[in-house]
Amino acid sequence: MASETRKVVVHLRATGDAPILKQAKFKISGTDKFVKVIDFLRRQLHRETLFVYVNSAFSPNPDELVKDLYNNFGIDGKLVVNYACSMAWG
Amino acid sequence: MYIHINCRYIPTGVLFDLLCAEAERPWNLTVHFRGYPGKILTPCEGEDSVKWSFINALKEAACIITGNCKNIMNMSQSDQTDLWRSVLNGDMDAYLRVSSKLKLCTIGDDHSLKFNNTLKSRQSTIDTDVTAPPRTGRIPVRLYIRSINEDIDDIEDAPTIDSWDKISYINRPFEIQGEGECFTLYDAVKTLLPELFADKHLLADDVSKGEMEDGQLSEEVSCSRTSEEAGVTSTDYVGSPPDTAEIKLLRIQGIEPKMEIPFGWVVNNLMNPEHYLHICVYIKSVEPITI
Repeated sequence: MASETRKVVVHLRATGDAPILKQAKFKISGTDKFVKVIDFLRRQLHRETLFVYVNSAFSPNPDELVKDLYNNFGIDGKLVVNYACSMAWG
Repeated sequence: MYIHINCRYIPTGVLFDLLCAEAERPWNLTVHFRGYPGKILTPCEGEDSVKWSFINALKEAACIITGNCKNIMNMSQSDQTDLWRSVLNGDMDAYLRVSSKLKLCTIGDDHSLKFNNTLKSRQSTIDTDVTAPPRTGRIPVRLYIRSINEDIDDIEDAPTIDSWDKISYINRPFEIQGEGECFTLYDAVKTLLPELFADKHLLADDVSKGEMEDGQLSEEVSCSRTSEEAGVTSTDYVGSPPDTAEIKLLRIQGIEPKMEIPFGWVVNNLMNPEHYLHICVYIKSVEPITI
């Protein structure tokens, strides 16, 4: 079977007083784990503690595959990821 | 019961089903009071953080079932406390009293799968105010797949796991295909894991969705197989080549249910309080499993 890597569009949205990124939409391989998105945000924002959510609702397991999250919770062709410096949605 | 053991997101019972091939009961636990691996595991911050994990998972399940999790977000504080207490105390009556208000039931009393208009393309439902949430006809399922390459006769001879990498962790809902269909547990597992059981060329490459932005979050990572839409496509198994994988053991809630059991019954009776069905599968595969 031909090898192929499907990309998922991740839309990063700041919540609360979290800094807004210059570029909000990124492509990431669906076979990557969600922790890659979290680490990317940590590096961009230079913060160790970060609260990351999907669809302004819940924090996914960092071990989750991005394509699983996209298939389950993707809206209008992208996965909406919210990030905050303090807990936003308990 | 949720404890931070390997990961705050995985119920302890599931870890037992997954890691202890030889199910010794009662559990034989070794507790370490020193040398906590703080670099790998998040410190346990007491009951509140365990409750947080439970509610978080419940929201995730609600999102899959109804397309949004408003009913969990709008739950009153007292209902939330009651629900959590009922889970802690194993009080089924109290649990049903509160959880029935959440309207997350997808299975009828006769174990038939209720078919509610599948929302093929979900629009931004999270932003709209919905009092009666639309059903998506999906059942939240977490699959934990442990692959066994060696030819072992007895599942109890399965080698102990030394790395989490040997386990595939998949969050893939089961899509209800049609009304009144009698789906067995075996049918459901096959549908959920087309990579292992289906004729591979039937996994049609669907068109990539979404507008592509210029940004590139990561370098190219090669992967051998994609499975978007995997659980979704209704694959015709007739005439497909012999399966490459073999289920050696399947455990849900500590038991090994028969594969002929109707899937609706399994969902109704074996789902976790946070509405996820956690299925642990030991699979003997000819080729290494990539999911």
